[in-house]
Amino acid sequence: MTSCSSEPGCITCGDVAVPLTVLAVDGPDATCADEQGRHEVIATELVGNVVPGDRLLAHAGVAIERLTGV
Amino acid sequence: MRFVDEFRDPELAEVLGREIAALCEPGRHYKVMEVCGGHTHTIYRYGVQDHLPESIELVHGPGCPVCVIPMGRVDDGIAIAEQDGVILTCFGDMMRVPGGRGSFLDANARGADIRMVYSPLDALRIARANPDRQVVFYAIGFETTAPSTALTVLRAKQEGISNFSVFCNHVTIIPAIKAILDSPDLRLDAFIGPGHVSTVIGCRPYEWISRDFGMPLVCAGFEPLDLLQSVYMIMKQFTEGRAEVENQYGRVVQYDGNPVALKVLADVFALRPFFEWRGLGSIAHSALQLSPRYADFDAELRYDIPGVRVADPKACQCGEVLKGVLKPWECKVFGTACTPETPIGTCMVSSEGACAAYYNYGQYAKQRLTLEVLR
Ligand code: SF4
Repeated sequence: MTSCSSEPGCITCGDVAVPLTVLAVDGPDATCADEQGRHEVIATELVGNVVPGDRLLAHAGVAIERLTGV
Repeated sequence: MRFVDEFRDPELAEVLGREIAALCEPGRHYKVMEVCGGHTHTIYRYGVQDHLPESIELVHGPGCPVCVIPMGRVDDGIAIAEQDGVILTCFGDMMRVPGGRGSFLDANARGADIRMVYSPLDALRIARANPDRQVVFYAIGFETTAPSTALTVLRAKQEGISNFSVFCNHVTIIPAIKAILDSPDLRLDAFIGPGHVSTVIGCRPYEWISRDFGMPLVCAGFEPLDLLQSVYMIMKQFTEGRAEVENQYGRVVQYDGNPVALKVLADVFALRPFFEWRGLGSIAHSALQLSPRYADFDAELRYDIPGVRVADPKACQCGEVLKGVLKPWECKVFGTACTPETPIGTCMVSSEGACAAYYNYGQYAKQRLTLEVLR
């Protein structure tokens, strides 16, 4: 219900973020897939231009960093 | 699954555990604080402590954003939600945090419209879809989360959305660490630094901890092996007589953080002179408010809020747990009057709270048994 008991702790509010892969870019937003193949639209202004295939770390709907080598 | 499997290998954990044990000085006890609630969650979930020698004690810090919200701020949120036409939005765990007048769920039962969102951008979507209502986002979180709120405010301004505002409760990690180091009842040896906060702020802001207090700090990732490797790096510093800031989480964290995110934070927010933390009391310059440039989006200016300090319940020992002075199971009401279903304190609400993490992963049963036998 209201508790964020999903996988790596509380995704929405804690110091937890999830790795995602960019599938398609639409202006400042990108549709991304997580490790389980679930899709999510993520704001990308904080990590610069992204292209499909880029790996991002997202937290609360916003990409906060690019991932390198993972 | 490559990302995850490599970092959960039990055999590697065994090896690391043995190497860590070999670095321990006989007769010395090490207290290592993991600042971040995400780490606390991993530690209990995967039994990380079981891989460490008894002389290394992991102490849980104040880095659970839900846990540090004081009761008065919950009441303020309810007061906003009770105004005509308001939709209050917040992250899921916030719904159950008890305030002086109950939780947001209780307020909903009394007729308020408080909705859970996964991102402040979802709150902005609700505002776009409900132009005749006022939508307020109840913002919580450390520097990991503050950029998403900041970006949302920027988008709201760009689009000229006037029925959206933010009730800002964002906090910053450095002053909380300072407060813990100043606390007389706790002696620590080293820190495991918060990995995703560091994604934003980088590792540089922790350097004073090594310089002024002679303590190692290693920024760590969130898998069990990340944590074990960080403890290994800390122990290595001890054996080599070093005290430095190191980055174990290089696959994600840049030493200087994310400069774009930092710029956006500096633009949208200003430091509050003081903010009350649950359990830790009032800490100077430890929280964010909207900067005057974005005053139009500041719910604190838009609404009359009580702003009254509400004392924690007498039975609640969250303050001691947040400072690492008490273990969750040492609180008198742990697991009896206070459970995740009926939380008395905030540490039992979020899955990152030390009490909830301990309760959910069952280790408390073992520990309590040991304690009872000892008595
Ligand atoms: S058991 Fe409950 S009241 Fe006690 S410290 Fe934990 S959350 Fe707070």
